[in-house]
Amino acid sequence: MQPKPENAITIAVSSRALFRMEEEQKIYSDQGVEAYVKYQLDHESEPFLPGAAFPFVKGWREQIPRLVHSPPCSAGLQACCRAAQPLGPGGAGLADSVRPSSPDLFIERFCMTGGNSPMCYLKAYHTNLYLSSDAEKVSEALEEGIAAATIFSPSKDVSVSESQLRVAFDGDAVLFSDESEQIVKEHGLDMFFEHEKAYENKPLAQGPLKGFLEALGKLQKKFYSKGLRLECPIRTYLVTARSAASSGARALKTLRSWGLETDEALFLAGAPKGPLLEKIRPHIFFDDQMFHVEGAKASGTIAAHVPYGVAQKPRRGVQAKETAVWA
Amino acid sequence: MGAILFPTHSQYLASLGAPHPLSPFPCVSSLPPSLSLLHLLPACSSFDCLQPKPQNAITVAVSSRALFDMVKDRKIYEEEGVETYVKYQEENENLPLNPGPAFYFVKALEQVNARLRELYPKDEELFDIVLMTNNHAQVGVRLINSINHYGLSIERFCMTGGESPIGYLTAYLTNLYLSADSEKVQEAIEAGIASATMFTANKDVPYSDKQLRVAFDGDAVLFSDESEQIVKEHGLDRFFEHEQMNENKPLAQGPLKGFLEDLGKLQKKFYAKNERLDCPIRTYLVTARSAASSGARVLKTLRSWGLEIDEALFLAGAPKGPILVKIRPHIFFDDQMFHIEGAQQLGTVAAHVPYGIGQKYYKSKPKDDTVKK
Repeated sequence: MQPKPENAITIAVSSRALFRMEEEQKIYSDQGVEAYVKYQLDHESEPFLPGAAFPFVKGWREQIPRLVHSPPCSAGLQACCRAAQPLGPGGAGLADSVRPSSPDLFIERFCMTGGNSPMCYLKAYHTNLYLSSDAEKVSEALEEGIAAATIFSPSKDVSVSESQLRVAFDGDAVLFSDESEQIVKEHGLDMFFEHEKAYENKPLAQGPLKGFLEALGKLQKKFYSKGLRLECPIRTYLVTARSAASSGARALKTLRSWGLETDEALFLAGAPKGPLLEKIRPHIFFDDQMFHVEGAKASGTIAAHVPYGVAQKPRRGVQAKETAVWA
Repeated sequence: MGAILFPTHSQYLASLGAPHPLSPFPCVSSLPPSLSLLHLLPACSSFDCLQPKPQNAITVAVSSRALFDMVKDRKIYEEEGVETYVKYQEENENLPLNPGPAFYFVKALEQVNARLRELYPKDEELFDIVLMTNNHAQVGVRLINSINHYGLSIERFCMTGGESPIGYLTAYLTNLYLSADSEKVQEAIEAGIASATMFTANKDVPYSDKQLRVAFDGDAVLFSDESEQIVKEHGLDRFFEHEQMNENKPLAQGPLKGFLEDLGKLQKKFYAKNERLDCPIRTYLVTARSAASSGARVLKTLRSWGLEIDEALFLAGAPKGPILVKIRPHIFFDDQMFHIEGAQQLGTVAAHVPYGIGQKYYKSKPKDDTVKK
């Protein structure tokens, strides 16, 4: 039985994030909606190939029961809701749903929005995290206060941890607000270090993914309280370009003031994130800067872009870039 | 026979019959030391650029227990568990930790960096110090406060919350890893990273703060343990015969050869600016080998690798402790616990390299059990 949305941790995934649908998209763009629907019906019993978000959702399905079923248990169950955005009017959406999901996943809730924005459904389901390959929808979701990110497939073969769901977060403009990044961009690094030291004890404002870290933390606490940190099925990582001695204390103290923690904290002081992410092998890595997302992709990490804050290019530029991904 | 000391580089080269080293380069004026690094680098739009890129730097990773004295804290962790330990650290986070065994070594590395930046302002070939600890992230606040208290510049941290840091070591292209945990050190050596287990010195010894001094044992540290195997299995006479017969065949390299090479690279930068006499790095070979019977092979091996060592001390079995007291190195690498303990007793910071056949023996007698992990 499914829990009520308000008690659950809800992950919403778009169909194109969950499965690979490049061929179907091509048919739709080149040959039109009728050919697309026919193609879907012809391939009805073939499962889709896994997409960028597939390992994360699979990991979630595998690890969460370990947290929920170990006593004491509270309403920490989740639902995966597929917000399918069909490419054409009406029927195409239905055709999508007929194609069976991979047998490893069991997705309980579906929203086929027939071309409309899924925002109201996301809100109705108290969505804790929305993953999509469509940057526009992700930006809309962020504006509505829902944690969201545009997910990308890595350029190399992916290898994720089998025993643990691993989620890696950038710090500024992901867990925290972008206030510090603004200072760097406007006044440079020196000013930034001075500022961070002066305000070390003043928590940063929260960023778009803070709520999701909080949700994960609630699940993790069950294992922590039994002294089983290393066996916990979820592991979280802070992977930040911040420098530890010059600006790290404020980040750690902010997390503490929120009552939150990450299992591991890596302060890179500007070193490339790719090699470290390759060692972590997370199921997903959230960052606000495309530069870091690209670096992660190149090293075989599943990266998700959080289009928030001062590091973003103007909307039009982002849209053009995302459309190119579909081709 | 007996110990032979070569106090200067040119003397030991002369002993090999090699020509005198290159004449000094023309003097280049250096920047005033007060010029802050921040003004020399271009303005950045993100958090990058203050630290050298890992591929250009000589990365030295230190654990928190190597850098600071955390003996008491460790006891709390072992006896009362991780939750109590983290709480204890949070409560004491404004109290700086005391220096640990690798502290003065790290401080000396930073002095070298300061000199390098004066001479080569835009160059990234510097020491980059990374704190590699399996401490919990919240303990990071106390570590950061302690680092800032001593004016150290350690900006890269990996706090692995209980997991092994070995993966991150290779991701950072680590050149040297120092830890108080011999298991991790062994893992690192197996992964091909120069590494050693740090032990606290028993006495307080004043260190040179103008010059980084690094002392190395020879066999199973700079060189492979092939010769030590012969001694242990066939005895000293056979060993001397073997070394003399194979004098011109270079020994295979040992786990710390790469680090000596890195130090040499940096030394050459000072030589190039006519700073040889005032070079802030000095290296020492402190070996139990006998010079006449087995010393030539060692020196010829170093030469074949294109490496130099500033001072070479052949002790022919004499205790290393008293010599090390005179040298006062910031760190001394040896593969045999017997020598480590001898060094410690007289106040030298010693680091054990758990490699080679020496691990199965203690003072030339086989150990009863296998290597303690």
